[in-house]
Amino acid sequence: MSLAGDRRPNVLSTGRRTLEFAWRSLVRQPARATLGILGVAAVGALLFDMLLLSEGLVISMRDLLDRMGFEIRVTATDQLPGRGPDILDAAAAASSIAMLPSVRSVMTMRTEDAQLERAEGTEIRASLLGVGGEQLRPWTILRGRDVSGDRDLVLNAYASGALDVDTGASVVIRASCARGAEAPPPLEFRVVGIAEFPFDVPGEAEAGTSATALADACGDGGEPSADFLVVTSTGDTDAAAAAIARLRPDLRPFTTDQAIGQMERGGFTYFRQISTVLTTVTLSFALLLITVLLTVSVNQRLGEVAALRALGFSRQRVVLDVLSESALVVGIGGVLSLPLGALLAMWLDRILKGMPGIPVSLHFFVFEPEALLVHGTLLAATALIAAIYPMRIVARLPIAATLRNEVIG
Amino acid sequence: MAVKQLLFLTAVVGALSGLLPQAQAPSAPSILITRQLAEIEGLVVGDAVQLSPDEQGDRAQTFRIAGIYEPTPDPMRLGEVPREVRLHLPDLLALTRDESTPAGTEYVEAINVALVDPADARRFSQDVNARMPGVLARPARDAAGSGSTFVVLERFHLAIAAVTILASTVFLLALTIMLVDERREAVGMLRLIGLPARRILLQVLFEGLLIASSGALFGLALARVSEYAINAFFQWRYDTALIFVHVTPDIAVLCVAIAVPLGAAATVAASWALLRRSGLRLARR
Repeated sequence: MSLAGDRRPNVLSTGRRTLEFAWRSLVRQPARATLGILGVAAVGALLFDMLLLSEGLVISMRDLLDRMGFEIRVTATDQLPGRGPDILDAAAAASSIAMLPSVRSVMTMRTEDAQLERAEGTEIRASLLGVGGEQLRPWTILRGRDVSGDRDLVLNAYASGALDVDTGASVVIRASCARGAEAPPPLEFRVVGIAEFPFDVPGEAEAGTSATALADACGDGGEPSADFLVVTSTGDTDAAAAAIARLRPDLRPFTTDQAIGQMERGGFTYFRQISTVLTTVTLSFALLLITVLLTVSVNQRLGEVAALRALGFSRQRVVLDVLSESALVVGIGGVLSLPLGALLAMWLDRILKGMPGIPVSLHFFVFEPEALLVHGTLLAATALIAAIYPMRIVARLPIAATLRNEVIG
Repeated sequence: MAVKQLLFLTAVVGALSGLLPQAQAPSAPSILITRQLAEIEGLVVGDAVQLSPDEQGDRAQTFRIAGIYEPTPDPMRLGEVPREVRLHLPDLLALTRDESTPAGTEYVEAINVALVDPADARRFSQDVNARMPGVLARPARDAAGSGSTFVVLERFHLAIAAVTILASTVFLLALTIMLVDERREAVGMLRLIGLPARRILLQVLFEGLLIASSGALFGLALARVSEYAINAFFQWRYDTALIFVHVTPDIAVLCVAIAVPLGAAATVAASWALLRRSGLRLARR
């Protein structure tokens, strides 16, 4: 017990002395040390961003879907909501699903393109969302009130500004349904509120109304159809999804996890792949350059290392010195890389959000503690692997021959 | 003219020449299917399949597979298996027409028009829009709305390239400082035997140019190998003919144009501080 207790302070003090010694080696060559650290900081920032990018879109999309408060989306085929055919008997399907004991609420959702016109003649293109079923709405009212009557309409802030209308104004809607194959008659709606939609896209107009009103705007006779249904369970999402699948085998319920999984296999995969490729390239680049930096540095100090060995420094001690130097360069660079990476992530996120159709609240770079852990682990591994070759040079250094060469040279 | 319709492959009937009566073979309309669909369903040219507009298989019709095609790669549908069938438009309309819809009154989603002079596309579109209310004509270039997605992605890649260049420059400077420092004594000797600093700097510049050019050429060779490896991996991973990485001559020239001056400048910058010292100071041990 006492031996172990004695050894621990020794190990700690040796570690501290080694780090101090390595620090002095770095400080003695400030230009190269600074450049090495800055290089690691830049590479580390890129690495950090790639780690944030690899899962960022998925985390952000999950967050967005969770905030909407619906755990299950029901579609007509195994295509994700909005990409497959309509559910033609939407209201009947919603009613029967709502009767299931594991289901709390059901809403029908349908989106069509529409032309919104103000009485004075201003007109804009907009996405018109028709919601049926429960009193819950996917949008958040900012001003005015929610849709209650059949000709009530809520607009997003962009549509309100572009049309220069506020609550109480009248707007004529020319819906473009059935892929534009039909030209239904224009209908007049009353703007009752200004709302924030979950998938609001900068510079794009959105409007919301009831499913019946949208069906009227589309000139549909009979039961309104829906792109998909959204369902809230009483607690057990998987059980509710299974019950829906049993009740309506012709429909396909997606839990949020399943929907995210499908998105990950689809369009989201691009960013994960690019992140993997760039992480690999960045790490290889950092590894190569730190190895070269350390190797050249060690080669320039062979005489000094041989002299230290001759003075009584153990082989282990000089090897640890090289490792500590690598750890200091990578460690300081790695710490600096975090704020740099955060700034870079904001810049890159702004660039990527310039893509058409990207909602305001969706982000490509999202921080999570796991990314920080992976970043630290990868950099530590880089520091260790990069130091292997120079450590080997130092460990195998013939003391007498090196000192002799140093004197003769 | 183009119509997209969700169809259901309800049955694989068999090779027309074998299972179906000979008289029926010529009457079955021909279709093309994607390579991926052929592989999933084990279909080959000459097979007869039944297609239906609904999943119950009602109103199914028999078609003959006349060919298997590689679908045009679509980056927006990466990861999706293209299970697609191409039919002659009259066959598709006949298959999907509702009983209440008289033949000839169906709609199509789009009509592609090839002009004698492609430069007239915008004027032609404006003319059609003016003469035919309810129809929206757009030049193909404008209709490719997803183009801006790729502009943004290009901007993103450029930003990453800029950061990579910055990191490389910093490392390069660190390396050249070390390399120049290693030759401190030799440079001191050259100064002592009478070579002016400008002459040594010129030599360093040429050396830097040579090393940077060799590095740039090696980088291009590496990029070429990576291009092949990355494309092969992702084409296998997503079962697509999409090209993910393409080193064009313009990109190669741009890389060389950045790398060579940068490498040479880093060498000169690192040597500059050294050459400002006196020969004696440099050569002393």
